[in-house]
Amino acid sequence: MKRPPILMHVKIRNERRGLNLWIPIFLLLPLALAIFIIVAPLILIVIPIFWPSGRRRRALQIFGVVFEIICSMRGINVDMQSNHDYFYISAV
Amino acid sequence: MDENKKKILEMLADNKISTDEAYRLLSALETERSTSEGTKKSETTSRMKSKYLRVHIVSSPEREHGHEEDRVNVRVPMTLIRAGMKFTSLLPPEARDKVTGALRDKGVDFDMRNLKPEDMDEFLEALSELEVDVAGSDGETVKIYVE
Repeated sequence: MKRPPILMHVKIRNERRGLNLWIPIFLLLPLALAIFIIVAPLILIVIPIFWPSGRRRRALQIFGVVFEIICSMRGINVDMQSNHDYFYISAV
Repeated sequence: MDENKKKILEMLADNKISTDEAYRLLSALETERSTSEGTKKSETTSRMKSKYLRVHIVSSPEREHGHEEDRVNVRVPMTLIRAGMKFTSLLPPEARDKVTGALRDKGVDFDMRNLKPEDMDEFLEALSELEVDVAGSDGETVKIYVE
C-alpha cells in the first residue's frame, strides 16, 4: 500500500547560517485533509465548468497523481555541497 | 512449430536419424529454451526490482584544495519517476507544447507529446539498464546508475 512519507529532513547551510529541520509530515496530513475538505466544494464547482471542454477526467485524475507523487517521495535523498553551501533533503 | 523442431522431424521422416535420436534432440531443444526463458525472466525481475536512480557528481579534489569538495549525491525513487511521467501525461496539450519549446531552446530535442503512459514500463525497464560513469581529466567524476 502506498503511504506518504512520515518525516522530511531538510538541512541548509552556508557560511553565515545553517538550518536543520525535521518536518513531521504525518502531522501535516490531517491538516492537508482538512484543507481538502474545505476546498472540495470548489472542486465540485470547477469540475462541471471543465465538463464540456473534455478536461473533467484529467481534472479528477490529477488528484490521484499528485497523491501518488507525494507517496513516491519516500526514500528521496538530495545531498549537494558547493564550497561552503550545503543543501540536504531526505524523506523517510 | 519452430525451424529446429521441423528440421528434426524432417530428418526423422527421411530416416536420417532414429526415433531415439530425434527424441534426444527435441528434449535438448526444450531444455535450452526453458533455460534461456528462465534467464530472461530473472533479468527482467531484477530490473523491475530497481528502486532508485542514483546520481553522484564529485568535483576534483585538487581544484578544491582548501575548500570542501563540491558534490552532488541524489537518490530518486523509481516510483517517483513513474508518478512524474504519469503527471506529464495529464498536462494539457498547450502546456506540453510550451515545455517542448523550452526544452528545444535549451538544445534538448524531446517532444513531450511522444511520451505516452503505455510506454512507461518499457522506458523504466530501459532506464534500469542505464549506467553512466564519466571521469574527467581533472578528477571530476559523474556516475548515474540504477540500484
